Amino acid sequence: MNTLGRRQFLKLAAVLPALAALPGLARATTAPPRVVVVGAGFGGATVAKYLRLWGGNIDVTLVDANARHTSCILSNLVVTGELAMSRISLGFHALRTRYGINVLQGRALSIDAPGNSVTIRTPGGNQVLPYDHLVLSPGIDFSPAPGNWNPSLTPHAWQAGAQTTLLKNQLASMRNNDVFVMTVPKAPYRCPPGPYERAAVVADYLKRKGRTGARVIVLDANAGITAEPEAFEHAFNITHAGVIEYYPNASVESVDSATRSIVTSAKSISRAKVLNYIPDQRAGAIAASMPLDSAGFVPVDPLTYGTADHPNIHVIGDACAVPATDSKAVPKSGHMANAEAKICADAIIRLLNGETPDEDIATGSACYSPITNKISSWLSANFAYGDIFDANGQVKGKGMHRVDLGEAASDMIDGDSYQDMFKWAESLFADSFG
Amino acid sequence: MNTTRFTSAALIGATLLAAGLPAGADPGRLLAAQCAQCHGTNGAGPGFDEIAGENANDLFGELIEMKYRPVEGIMDRQARGYSDAQLQLIADFLSTQPGNGDN
Ligand SMILES: Cc1cc2nc3c(=O)[nH]c(=O)nc-3n(C[C@H](O)[C@H](O)[C@H](O)COP(=O)(O)OP(=O)(O)OC[C@H]3O[C@@H](n4cnc5c(N)ncnc54)[C@H](O)[C@@H]3O)c2cc1C
Repeated sequence: MNTLGRRQFLKLAAVLPALAALPGLARATTAPPRVVVVGAGFGGATVAKYLRLWGGNIDVTLVDANARHTSCILSNLVVTGELAMSRISLGFHALRTRYGINVLQGRALSIDAPGNSVTIRTPGGNQVLPYDHLVLSPGIDFSPAPGNWNPSLTPHAWQAGAQTTLLKNQLASMRNNDVFVMTVPKAPYRCPPGPYERAAVVADYLKRKGRTGARVIVLDANAGITAEPEAFEHAFNITHAGVIEYYPNASVESVDSATRSIVTSAKSISRAKVLNYIPDQRAGAIAASMPLDSAGFVPVDPLTYGTADHPNIHVIGDACAVPATDSKAVPKSGHMANAEAKICADAIIRLLNGETPDEDIATGSACYSPITNKISSWLSANFAYGDIFDANGQVKGKGMHRVDLGEAASDMIDGDSYQDMFKWAESLFADSFG
Repeated sequence: MNTTRFTSAALIGATLLAAGLPAGADPGRLLAAQCAQCHGTNGAGPGFDEIAGENANDLFGELIEMKYRPVEGIMDRQARGYSDAQLQLIADFLSTQPGNGDN
């Protein structure tokens, strides 16, 4: 429990000069507090930036395994060749120079929670970074695949970068009558509309390239389309009728990358031209050292994103599970990771100041899903802090609950939304990395 | 609450006192930060309309109009995500922010 009431805090502040005289405690009275952030994607970049923007003197170190972050957002349009890879490659220059963040390239290997330090493997050897608060935003890892799955033969492209390029090249190699097979992972997974969006833009690509008879087969582990069902049913059954085949309740039994074959409970395919198997997901490995929920994500306090056992270890973005009313989970999106990062940054600053976290908080997600290379739908969801309910309608505690009145799928799938998508992405990229 | 954590919390607090971190946030700052995903950090772009430095009453009026009219676009949905009191705090905060002068 790091929260101190103001009175307690003043009392403690009064005894501090005495404490500072003790050996080994001198740093505490002179050096700025240290926050280490692991993962420089949408959550991690934003929390580091806002800690410096709002927290003045905090010493912030941002660690990422890569020298640049490759955004999943807009990456389906890189797969279809609409956008260049450079469009989704985001550097850390502004975070370094404009905000004074120490950016360290390396992989976080382990956390010593009692000792408040994290070990990072860097090209120059291991470094142990001490922290007052640690924020983890590592995104997702994949659950083990049944069968013989090799992502360098049959890409997921659900973490962007080399995987995106591989899928793009495989799509470009498709000819008439070829089959593109993809899976939709079991919820919860990163970006609920993302797989359906991919099916739509891949179908659109095949039509525009004149690949007669080429098909997109969607094998969905869920009982139905998990996001914007009306928009995507329209996309599958009308806009791309005859190109997309959709199978719900298709839980994957085995995958074989060498032959690009897949067996599911609803439909099996051998020797597809492209097999885009997107596995089920769980929290990125470094966050998985925290206690997990049954789906493999880290439950957090929605006011601070602190974890149950360690209030000064925070998990944000795709890796966390925010308490919500049953079946109304907070979606895993980049927009949401950015939203959570700001709440987390504000809470850390308050905790460091001996204040209590703000309860008047809101988070939201907005998302544009291209259906072709000219039109897009949009999705929006907003959450506020308050009571959440179990399946029987009984209050089960505090969490984030939907407040934007009803389902918020777009009523318009149109060219304006397609243009708005680029404005939104430009702004989100700049607010997170610029 | 164990003693070790209590002590470390005290030291963290004390660190801040010595380091002189900004105390107390402007009300509305954290709520308004949720506008930044589409309107830029502190509402100053890039993205959709710049909202920094607009008159607080005008901004509040627009937000209330979007919240209560039938949904025409994504902003009408987003406005429904906040109480009227929260929208007032957001408008007040954004009105104090320097814009780029092109709103
Ligand atoms: C095809 C697709 C389309 C999408 N479209 C949208 C969209 O339109 N809108 C939207 O809001 N969201 C979208 N998303 C979702 C969005 O990309 C994620 O929700 C978002 O990236 C989550 O942010 P994060 O910070 O949790 O993780 P990430 O952004 O994935 O960042 C994680 C970072 O952590 C680093 N990392 C991980 N482990 C370690 C470690 N141990 N040490 C060091 N570094 C580490 C990784 O290198 C990575 O840079 C889409 C996703 C996909 C796949």
